[in-house]
Amino acid sequence: MDVRRILVPVSGGEADRQAIELACLVGRRCHAQVRVVHIIEVARTLPLDANLRQEVQKGETILERVEETVSELDYEVESDLLQAREVGPAIVEEAGERQADLIIMGLPLKRRFGEYSLGRTGPYVLKNAPCRVWLCREPGQASQ
Amino acid sequence: MWIARVRSSRTTRESPDRSHVPTVVIGWRRRPGDRVIRPRIRQHRLRRVLGTSALYGIGYGNVGSSIYYALGLTALAAAGATPVALALAGLFFVCTALTYSEGMAAFPEAGGSAVFARHAFNELVAFIAGWSLMLGYVVAISISAFTIPAYLGYFVPALKESLPLGIVVAMGVVAGLTVLNVIGVRESAFVSVLAALLDLVTQVTLVVLGFLLLLEPERLWRNMVDYWPDTTQFLYGISVAMVAYVGLESVAQVAGEARAPGRRLPQAMGLVVASVLVIYGGVSLVALSAMTPAELSTTWATDPVAGIAASMPAEWLRATLAPLVAILAASILLIATNAGILGVSRLAFSMSQHQHLPGLLSRVHPRFRTPHVAIVACSLGAVGVLVPGFGGGQVFRDLGALYGFGALLAFCLAHASILALRLQRPELARPFRLGVSLPFRGRRLPVTALVGLVGTGLIWLVVVVEQPYSRGVGLAWLAVGLLVYVVYRRVNRLPLLRPAPAAARPSPLAPLPPGERGRGG
Repeated sequence: MDVRRILVPVSGGEADRQAIELACLVGRRCHAQVRVVHIIEVARTLPLDANLRQEVQKGETILERVEETVSELDYEVESDLLQAREVGPAIVEEAGERQADLIIMGLPLKRRFGEYSLGRTGPYVLKNAPCRVWLCREPGQASQ
Repeated sequence: MWIARVRSSRTTRESPDRSHVPTVVIGWRRRPGDRVIRPRIRQHRLRRVLGTSALYGIGYGNVGSSIYYALGLTALAAAGATPVALALAGLFFVCTALTYSEGMAAFPEAGGSAVFARHAFNELVAFIAGWSLMLGYVVAISISAFTIPAYLGYFVPALKESLPLGIVVAMGVVAGLTVLNVIGVRESAFVSVLAALLDLVTQVTLVVLGFLLLLEPERLWRNMVDYWPDTTQFLYGISVAMVAYVGLESVAQVAGEARAPGRRLPQAMGLVVASVLVIYGGVSLVALSAMTPAELSTTWATDPVAGIAASMPAEWLRATLAPLVAILAASILLIATNAGILGVSRLAFSMSQHQHLPGLLSRVHPRFRTPHVAIVACSLGAVGVLVPGFGGGQVFRDLGALYGFGALLAFCLAHASILALRLQRPELARPFRLGVSLPFRGRRLPVTALVGLVGTGLIWLVVVVEQPYSRGVGLAWLAVGLLVYVVYRRVNRLPLLRPAPAAARPSPLAPLPPGERGRGG
């Protein structure tokens, strides 16, 4: 498998760690560059460049945590904080612009009406991404 | 836009004896205990994803939805000259769209005329442009909401027949959308494209059916000649017809979200202009073939498109089209009302961040992450301008004129800014440049901007002179705004004409204060 650039979108959930670990593992094998992004979703009632201090602070904290994880794994990543209207299209655009060969996403264990739900972002990225997409679901029982 | 968040290098492994070893040495293999200097590359960027189709969707969704009330409003003033008034207003619309294309391509930032005025003149003029635009948005919300019950009158006639009931429903619509926007219900860009598509399909269908089944050149000519207004009313009619095109600003408000703005914004503008001119021309000709101007400006004033559907010759066609138009028009107007709330809250937030208005308006709700104060304040304004309707009178006509007052002033300032920029900053990179121009003091001034400035300026003057309501309310709005601006800037010791210093104006470009940084910041 020829992978040169890996994109890992993180949201601060439990599944992020698995995605990061997997990205570092693959990255080490393939000598690939790993880029971690956290995307701040901006409501349509705000300008895209609105200064959302709390969100930025939260994003910084998430990326700091990722870097700690990466440091434990003895690997290097680039981290990036983005502001966008929607997470899904932002990931797809970022992957296209950065010419990523692989997107590794962590998915939370989310239930809707008692059923496991992939949410909005995962399916969008699976459908529209210009490269391979791997999803890591956080541990737990998906169906009750 | 790259934001300065690149941090200094950080040590991840401590080992003094190997501290001099750089990570880039070829052949060197890191071992446990080695010290590695790792530069942290971190940027805070804006991800822009809107392409031409999304921009067109936003533009047409706003401009195209105006036909559901603009036709009736124009007929109230221009009577038999309605198609001519719409066509002449369309000429100024083309000029304005071209001006916006040059401005937006040069400054792809949210704010439209306020942004152009900031670059061309100063903060005070930018404030006047933004504040005028805000009036336009507030009234646009009211008009769109006001005409929803009129269209739904097909199902519940009382909604159309009773003015107080219609106003209460309109207020309810604004209140409901306000709550949804404060809570922050997601609306994808796809909704804008879908609404525009729905809008376009409905209108094209009506125009095609109208041309096939209703258009009678002789009747159209008779309706135009018999009901031709006097010159003052005609000029006023042109000013009211400009209402149809005010949604143009909506594209400018999302200019900062456009991908390759220098190319895509002018493309989207061109498509919006072409579609709007064709549809508006067709709908107005069909309407005057189907109804007399007297009917159009009375029975069908608030729901003129429903009037076209009700005039279809075949019973089965009327029975099919009338409820369909009622549902589609009400849905499209609901989306347009919501678009108005989104636009005005963004504008209020942006003006507050530029220190034009108190910081309260840029407060973001900690839980919902929406500018709740700005949304509620602007919605209250939209509800407020509907209140005079309870006392009878011509609330619909007055709203139309007030809408024109704010938007035309913003358009005038946009034209003036583009002309001023041509004189002051000829070297400015303009990815889209207006072609036909006249020489002036060694510079080139675009003819369309000159025509637009004179045209929209004259029409604005007609509104001010001819419409006591819009004159009173509009000028009072400007006076209150200027008072707030001056007092706010003086109290906070900010310059009146120059931008607020970076320290006073929070911007995502500025690094966060140390106390507000995340861990390790």
